[in-house]
Amino acid sequence: MKNHSVNVTLNGMQREAQCESRTTLLDFIRHDLGATGTHAGCEHGVCGACTVEVDGQIVRSCLMFACQANGARIKTVEGVGNSDGMSDLQRAFKKHHALQCGFCTPGFLMSAEDLLRKNPSPTETDVREGLSGNLCRCTGYVGIVEAVLEVAKTRAEANGEMHA
Amino acid sequence: MKSAPFVMHQATSQEEVLDLLDQLGEDARILAGGQTLVPVLAMRVASPDHLIDINKVAELNRFEVINGALQVGAGVRQAELEAWSDLYQVQPLLQMMFPWIAHAPIRNRGTICGSIAHADPSAELVLALAVLEGSVILRSKKKKRIVKASDFFLGALQTSRQPNELIEAVQFPIQSNDVGYGFSEYGYRHGDFAVVAVAAIKKGERWTIGFGGIDDIVRIHQFHAGTLEQAKTLIDELASDIEVREDPTATSGFRRHLMRKLGARACLQAMEVKRDLVR
Repeated sequence: MKNHSVNVTLNGMQREAQCESRTTLLDFIRHDLGATGTHAGCEHGVCGACTVEVDGQIVRSCLMFACQANGARIKTVEGVGNSDGMSDLQRAFKKHHALQCGFCTPGFLMSAEDLLRKNPSPTETDVREGLSGNLCRCTGYVGIVEAVLEVAKTRAEANGEMHA
Repeated sequence: MKSAPFVMHQATSQEEVLDLLDQLGEDARILAGGQTLVPVLAMRVASPDHLIDINKVAELNRFEVINGALQVGAGVRQAELEAWSDLYQVQPLLQMMFPWIAHAPIRNRGTICGSIAHADPSAELVLALAVLEGSVILRSKKKKRIVKASDFFLGALQTSRQPNELIEAVQFPIQSNDVGYGFSEYGYRHGDFAVVAVAAIKKGERWTIGFGGIDDIVRIHQFHAGTLEQAKTLIDELASDIEVREDPTATSGFRRHLMRKLGARACLQAMEVKRDLVR
């Protein structure tokens, strides 16, 4: 029975839909709001493919019920780029072959952005540990780590120029 | 995977939670961070008829230093306590453990009390509560009781909580500044369940060592040792003598090996790390 009315701000847009108690935030975003960029992997919190931002914090959207997100601000991979195209992180993923099949990529992008926000100049170990909650079965992670490290460096340089 | 249908009660006060628990008892489960409960529901290991969501209960969402202990309410998230700037000064063992507890997105939602309620014998927070000789504050509609960790954890995923009781908070006793702490863990991937986790607490020559992941409950041992070599010898003997679990993830022999190696590391850390050095 769809007895919950859930109101969220999804990537800056007000959205509303009805759902059941047992509907996860993941299914709500994909099926009820039609934003299929977020991927459903293991659906029990292991793979990280469904990682989204809820009120500024990354969470596994498969481990939260949609009715708990009523009133929340949600950012998904659709909100990462801008009107000009891909974000710097997305471009770096492309450049470094940080994706092959692309299934895990939405989760990696959300986790990597969160990592860079909390630690703008991470070491390779920081990146590997910070992204350890996300599984990739194609790349062997090398390209993903390189992409994140490059973005950290270019952002730091850009910041340096701004302050110079 | 979807959980079976249930009725969701989004409580806004502790009183409401206790009323619901009183009425529903075994048919209800408390939903806090959901990082263990939601997978359990998704895999249909459990299918309660009712969930009582305590995320909007403001009075449960606080932690404080009170009566010589760090008291953490049912709604406090792991990431919240991890980010507290005084944590290392107040409860160093918890700060050592947090990076090992799952991953950042899990700690953003998961609660301290939720991990205690789940009572997984390989969970870091269960080990912390046991080795620090902490306690659990349980409250039902009619009464409040404080249960020592040793009486609370009955077995793997088994506790002495009654169906009408809410884990209102847990208490981690605070030791004096000259007490040393050490923690060491081995898992197959960063953030995975511990195969073995060891916590060491050193008060002068008195040691308390807790082993997680080796049995259905955390095993605590106390001994006297004046030097690191003595402590290591005693841990070697313990690792040979006590009952150790064998399962598909690790043989008992491998677990005994880890008890020795991780035990030695935890003891060394407990001898070296002094809280006042860090501040």
